[in-house]
Amino acid sequence: MIQSDVHEFRRDLAAWLDEHDAELRLPIEQHPTLDDELAQFRHVKRALFDAGWGRYGWSSAVGGLAGSSMLRAIVGEEIATRDLAEPGLWSMIEVLAPTVIAVGSPELVAAMVPPFLRGDEMWCQGFSEPDSGSDLASLSCRATAVDGGWSVNGQKVWTSFAQLATRCILLTRTGEPGSAHRGITAFFVDMDSPGITYRPIEIQNGRLEFCEVFYDDVFVPADRVLGGVGQGWQVAMNILPYERSTAFWHRGAFLHHRFDALVANVAAAGRRDTGDAHLLGEAFQTLMAFRFRSRETQHRLAGGESLGAETSIDKILIAAADQTLYNAARDLLPGVIEFDTDTAAGHWRWDYLYSKAATIYGGTAEIQRNIVARRLLDLGAEP
Amino acid sequence: MIDADDLALLAVSLTAAMARESGAAAADAALHAVGWGELLVAAPIQGAAVAFAALGRTGSAACVLDDVVANALGVDVRPDVCVVMPAPGRGAPAGTRDGSVIRVDGLVSARIDNSERVVVPFEDDGREFGFVAVDATLLRPPPLPSLDPARQYRRAVGEVRLDDARVVEVTGTWEVVVRNARAALAHQLIAISRVMLEMARRHALDRVQFGRPVASFQAVRHKLAEALVAIEGAASVAHACVADDCDALVATMAKSLAGAAARSTAANAQQVLAGIGFTTDHPFHLSLKRTMVIDTLFGSARTLPAEIGHILVARGAAPRLVEL
Repeated sequence: MIQSDVHEFRRDLAAWLDEHDAELRLPIEQHPTLDDELAQFRHVKRALFDAGWGRYGWSSAVGGLAGSSMLRAIVGEEIATRDLAEPGLWSMIEVLAPTVIAVGSPELVAAMVPPFLRGDEMWCQGFSEPDSGSDLASLSCRATAVDGGWSVNGQKVWTSFAQLATRCILLTRTGEPGSAHRGITAFFVDMDSPGITYRPIEIQNGRLEFCEVFYDDVFVPADRVLGGVGQGWQVAMNILPYERSTAFWHRGAFLHHRFDALVANVAAAGRRDTGDAHLLGEAFQTLMAFRFRSRETQHRLAGGESLGAETSIDKILIAAADQTLYNAARDLLPGVIEFDTDTAAGHWRWDYLYSKAATIYGGTAEIQRNIVARRLLDLGAEP
Repeated sequence: MIDADDLALLAVSLTAAMARESGAAAADAALHAVGWGELLVAAPIQGAAVAFAALGRTGSAACVLDDVVANALGVDVRPDVCVVMPAPGRGAPAGTRDGSVIRVDGLVSARIDNSERVVVPFEDDGREFGFVAVDATLLRPPPLPSLDPARQYRRAVGEVRLDDARVVEVTGTWEVVVRNARAALAHQLIAISRVMLEMARRHALDRVQFGRPVASFQAVRHKLAEALVAIEGAASVAHACVADDCDALVATMAKSLAGAAARSTAANAQQVLAGIGFTTDHPFHLSLKRTMVIDTLFGSARTLPAEIGHILVARGAAPRLVEL
């Protein structure tokens, strides 16, 4: 991708977003509910898709207009910077669509991905189980071959936005119990299939962020296998490069946007000489360490390199940026998170509590350090 | 900008010169002989990045920071130019003018021992900057060794009467001095940090306790992983600052992050090296002391975040600094 094309794309996109700003925003209550956020998200996705912006960086096979994945990162950055869509909902597409495109059959991809990109549907990711979190390869949700397909039985947990989703990328055990990485198969499952029930789980900030999902004799047609029987681990690993490129860039842009608000707050309060300017500086440099690192990663990916264990460093850096920022906000805005009730305070409280998940989701901080130690520092296997 | 292949060749000859000559004066002479001065003039930030990375890897006593400052000021780059650096942890000029006297509180390199005159940057009520050359004997620091294992930096404290000083004509500004120095020092800190991490990594693989290498214990692995992440985060910012139009804020962050990475790496590496890392039998202490000294130059990991915070509050906004 030629650098000038990227600049031009950003400039034209920004101009379009400026011009259509009012119509891109649905009227919402002071404290938006998850339903409000979903409606706003779909509205923006649809508008971007119809205007073409939401189709760059995707192949023509899924209704895209082609171009580098960096174009998607730029769209994500502009959307986050303008507060046009809830960042968690937005990131699901960047994580899940590329994976289905990479491993799904051409027919499945052509039928399923366009509605997702248009914002018509939400998808979810059924990986974790009550007894299989960091040790994902021990998962036990079982898929058994039946006439014309598979029957799934078991339980998933921490399935983000399962209650809103129409499809799920589901990891199951098809090999012998104890077959670890080798005996896992991924499926593309319709969430309205008979036998699927769920219970939303409320997280600390009050949002119904994810669900426990139960599968009781759920039939999945044979053509919904993703990547082949026994290839589920490769499908799961395939998600990493996407999560850690465009989706991270989007998350980083959102954090920058929130940092802007923090700086504006501190500047407006005239708190220039209170001796805690270093908190702002630390938050900013932590954010920038991630941004410069992630920029290198985006360029490597766009240049055709495959991403691997080194992206665990990106993951650790963005989690540090997330938590350093909101810890700084808590100290620089005394009492706001704990006591205040206005909309801005609600945002800070919500974000502060949510930031604690940054070292847990997508592979915990400890798992990332294990990868860095094993793969990047070459310290040998753990016993 | 200099071609990458040429830069790689220069890096090899600079590293060789540093490795060959142990004393500061000899190393300075050797570097200038292989074209360090010309490199610096042609590519002030990019050239310094290469030289300071080599400085970090080799532990050389070469006083090339004086050259970086001289070049930023538009003064001739020569191995006998010695500049007084800011006081530990500070980015302001070492001199403060008070009537007819300049009070000096800064640091000088070993070059002062071979220079007749030293350049004192000074400020006037924190506003106007000036540069004077004074007789080195007026500031010659005590011969007591500092912590610096390269015996490079010492305190320089004193008072100089303006009558005894000669004005130095400069074409550069103090802001450019600070930016270029911070970018260069960031590369040095990152390189020394990599050396410390490798020492600890090697030790963790070789040292056997409870019948297995200590590298197999998660508590040890995570300390080393922590160090690598800090180093790579700082390195990404430092690598972005190679062009001559590098934003001063990027250079400041590179130095701040590199200082923080050096502190984190030193602490984690020392804990992993345990008993042997506490001795002078093992070379770790040289790197540790070196990073402690370099961290204080032109603002430290302790002082720079506050400086960055003040800049952001004054602007009322946070720049993105780099785009995809």
